[in-house]
This record gives sequence, structure tokens and C-alpha cells, in this order.
Amino acid sequence: MILIRDLTHVYPATRRQSSRTAISRLSLEVAEGEFCILSGPNGSGKSTLFRILCGLTVPSAGGVRVAGFDVFAEAMAVRGIMGVVFQSPAVDKHLSVAENLAIHADLYGLHGAVLADRLGEALEWSDLKERLGQKVDTLSGGLARQLELAKCLLTRPRVLLLDEPTTGLDPASRRNFLDVLRRLQRARAMTVLMTTHIFQEAEDADRVAIMKDGHLLACDTPQALRARLGHEVVVVQASDPPSLARRLEAELGLAPLRFGEEIRIEDVPAGGSLALLESILGRYRPEILSISIKQAALEDVFIHITGAGTAGGSP
Amino acid sequence: MMRAVVALARREFTRFIRQPQRVVGSIGQPLLFWLFLGSGFTGSFRPPGMEGISYLEFFYPGVLLMMLLFASIFSSITVIEDRDQGFLQGVLVAPVPRMAIVLGKVFGGTLIAMAQALLFLLLAPLLGLPLSAGGTVMVILTLLLTSTGFTALGFLIAWSMRSTAGFHAIMMVFLMPMWLLSGALFPVEHVPGWLYVLMEINPVTHALVLLRLPFYATVSGVFADPRFVTSLAVVVAWVVGCLYLSMVRVERRDRGAAISQS
Repeated sequence: MILIRDLTHVYPATRRQSSRTAISRLSLEVAEGEFCILSGPNGSGKSTLFRILCGLTVPSAGGVRVAGFDVFAEAMAVRGIMGVVFQSPAVDKHLSVAENLAIHADLYGLHGAVLADRLGEALEWSDLKERLGQKVDTLSGGLARQLELAKCLLTRPRVLLLDEPTTGLDPASRRNFLDVLRRLQRARAMTVLMTTHIFQEAEDADRVAIMKDGHLLACDTPQALRARLGHEVVVVQASDPPSLARRLEAELGLAPLRFGEEIRIEDVPAGGSLALLESILGRYRPEILSISIKQAALEDVFIHITGAGTAGGSP
Repeated sequence: MMRAVVALARREFTRFIRQPQRVVGSIGQPLLFWLFLGSGFTGSFRPPGMEGISYLEFFYPGVLLMMLLFASIFSSITVIEDRDQGFLQGVLVAPVPRMAIVLGKVFGGTLIAMAQALLFLLLAPLLGLPLSAGGTVMVILTLLLTSTGFTALGFLIAWSMRSTAGFHAIMMVFLMPMWLLSGALFPVEHVPGWLYVLMEINPVTHALVLLRLPFYATVSGVFADPRFVTSLAVVVAWVVGCLYLSMVRVERRDRGAAISQS
């Protein structure tokens, strides 16, 4: 449904900055009806990719097709079937909820009975029913986000793009937003591509793509990504992490990874971690501040894949 | 397309009337300008060939034009806010022709400017300015055309600006002088040669010709005046040119630098 082929984007040089490559030869395919999460550290090129997908930026090379249409040559066709939820609000905060919905409907040519139907639908799943006359700048953060989503869904997009849509929401509102999104996505078989750097949000996705420095490092189901790490992780905090890491490697034949003050042993086969924990504790008890067994979460996978730390005992 | 234009223009107008200080400011300021300057200069304003005209009366069409300038420019400046606050990004990804985005903003601004100018126009009879029915229609059409020109010009400038502060600078060194050199404050006829050239290439001068003539001539008389016809052509070219360039500008997207494919 979304087909990104060999995409490269280089920001042109300006007087103050030399040219900068934001995306380099990236290919990614999101199948119809799939819920795909795109994540990566800050500066990984996510936002640039997002702008290109929306058709707001023309890349240096490569192509993007949505539902078979070329995003740049057939922009109008793509805009008609695509909904976009931006990270920053895309509503007029001086106008009421109803007025904002009406403008959006007009921009997409919705009117009459169809519009009434869609509005009814939106009010059913959202909490906006009592707020229609209220100005947007008086809404809570959670409701304002609901309005963004409601607005985009009025047009029944086949493809929905969301750029870190839960930024600034409290955990309950975030949960609520994602639950609604996932439910509607399944019910309508929408293709969704959403960027986020909150990994709990990705656990429920069909696929997770991980970007760094403009490259796609991995793209797989959350299960498969977790499986890359082995099933469990033993995390040790020590008074002198570099020296302990070296000794774990030399004396126990492990492959410890160091992330700041933490030492992580990631390639532990399922069920083996308790025995490992006991043997580490037995040998190095005085140096250990804490030790724990963690189920690998996507966040661990992310850290592993993007290599935020340094391997082994070397600093 | 029309639905989108109307929706965007209506939004402009709704936002305007919800900010009473904007309404008061944009009507009050030209009114005070006119009263103070007009009354002050009336005693000493004696250009040859215009003996029967008080400065209040001479200045009146100029103030109409100034109202249009301020109202139009200040509503097109909101495109910077729209971009800043995010509203614009939602419009840009909507399936509307880029011309609709331009026209929505421009007609919204024109509507606001017209509402103000028409209020001010009610003062004309009090000045003893005779305005026939035909003349009134001509004045209104001119106001519409001119304010479209101003708003489109403002839009064109504001589109690529990132801050309203930058726009204010352009306003003072470019847009205000266009009005100052339009013949609104002093007659074109007795200025030094270099200034005359500047004034003649200024489209606002021509807008003022269109605006002033119907107050003093019949409709048929106006169209028989070659100066009126020339000015009409200049103003129409100005409006169409600015609208077209705005559309081209909106259509242009950020582009990545070209790379050598290896």
C-alpha cells in the first residue's frame, strides 16, 4: 500500500550549513491493512521521511507510491485517500470543534448526508460530543488529539500517517488514543504508518521499522525483533562497570554489552538466566549494586539495534 | 474547489470578527489619520487647479485605499501564523488545488477589507462628495479589485516568511511607501521628475486613479478618460500577476539536493 523505493534525501547546503544526508537509500513496504510503527532516535530521519510521505518535500532520489499512485506526480490522487495526523496541531485553535470539522469536510469535499453520517460516527468513538461548540484552545491535550484524529477519519482515509501523535499526552490519554486508533484501524482495514519513540506503543503493532542515521536497520514483527535478542536479558549494575564487564567476558566467556552504568547480557537462552544470575552473584557479589532478569522489550531491541552503547568492556 | 475557497475565506472572516480589537484598530486608525491630517492640511492645501477641494475631501479616497492596504496586509500576514500554529500543514495535505489555498486566503482578506471600506464609504455623502448609483458600483468594484491586489501581494510576501517581525519590516519599507507614493497624500502632477516615475510605475497610484475618478465624473465620462483605461489595465495586471505568482509559490515544495547516483 505504501511503497518506498531507494529513497535518498539530501538537504541542500545553505550559507550556514553544508549539505546533510537525512535519508539514504531507504526501501520499505507497508502492506494494505497493516499497522506499521516507524521509530528511531532523534535525528534519524523519521521526520524527513514523514514529510516526504505527505508529499510536502520532494526527495533527492527514489520513489514513493501510495495505493499505486506516485506521491509527487499524482499528488491530488494521493491526498484524497490519505489522512495525516501531524505532531503539532493542525487545527485552528480560535475556532470551535464543530467549525474545525466543517472546514476539514469542505477541504475534502464532504457534505450532506455522508458528512452527517461520518460526523455521527466520529462522535460515537470520541469524547467530543459535548464539546462541539467549544473553542479548540480550551480543550485538554487528550481531547485536542482526538479532534485531530476525528478530523482525519471523517474522510475515511485508506492510508493514515501519524507523526508522534501522542507527544505531550499523559499515560492514560495516550493509552486511550492508541486503543481507539488500533480499534478503528482494524475495523476499517486502514493502512497505518506511525512514527513514535515510545516503545510501549510499538508492542501492539503489526510491524516495527527502526531507522538510524537515515538507514533502515530493521523492519519486522515485534515478536521477531524480540527474538533477535534471545529471550531474556540479565542486567547488572556494578560499582566499576568497565572492569566487571571485562572479567565477565574473560572469566565466564559471556558477551556483555555496556550501556552507561549498566552491563547487559543479552544472548541468554530461555530459562538459563536464573542460573547465570546465581553464578554471577556467587563470583562478583561485592562489586554488584543490583542485578535483575528482564524479559526483552522492544526498547531493549531498539537499544541493541541502534547500538546506543558500546560493546564489550571497551569504553 | 469553490467549496474549499469559501471554507477558507469564511474562516478568515470568522477569526476577524472574533477579535474586536482588530476590528476597532483597523477602522479607527485610518479614520483618525484622515481626521487629523485632513483637518490639519485643509488650511494650507491649495494646489493649482483644485481650488474647490478641501484636503479632507482630497485625502478621502487615499484613506479608503489605506484602509484596504492595512486590512488586506494584516489579514495576509496571518498566513505566517497559520504555518507557525500548524493549521496550514493540514490544508497543504488536503486534496485541494493550490489556487484554492491562495484564493481562500485572499478572498478572506478582501472580505475583511471590504467590510471596513464600505463602512467608511458611508461617510462620503457627509463630505458632499456626489456619488451616483453607477459611481458607487464603480467605487465598490475598484475597492474589490484593489484589495484583492493588496492581499495577494501580502500573501506572496508572507508565504516564505518565518516571522511576523520580518513582515513588519517589509511593510514599512515597501508596502507603506507604495501607498505614500500613490497620490493619496499629494497630487501626482507637481512632483519632481524622479518621483513622478516612481509614482507612475506604482500600481497603487493607478488604483487611486480608478477610485478617485468616479467621485467627479459620470460612468461614461470615466470610461472615456484614457487615463482611467490605462490604470484599469495596470491594476488588473497587478492583481492577476500577484495571484499567479502566489499560486506558483504555494505549488513549489521543498526539494532535496540533487545527488550523483552511484
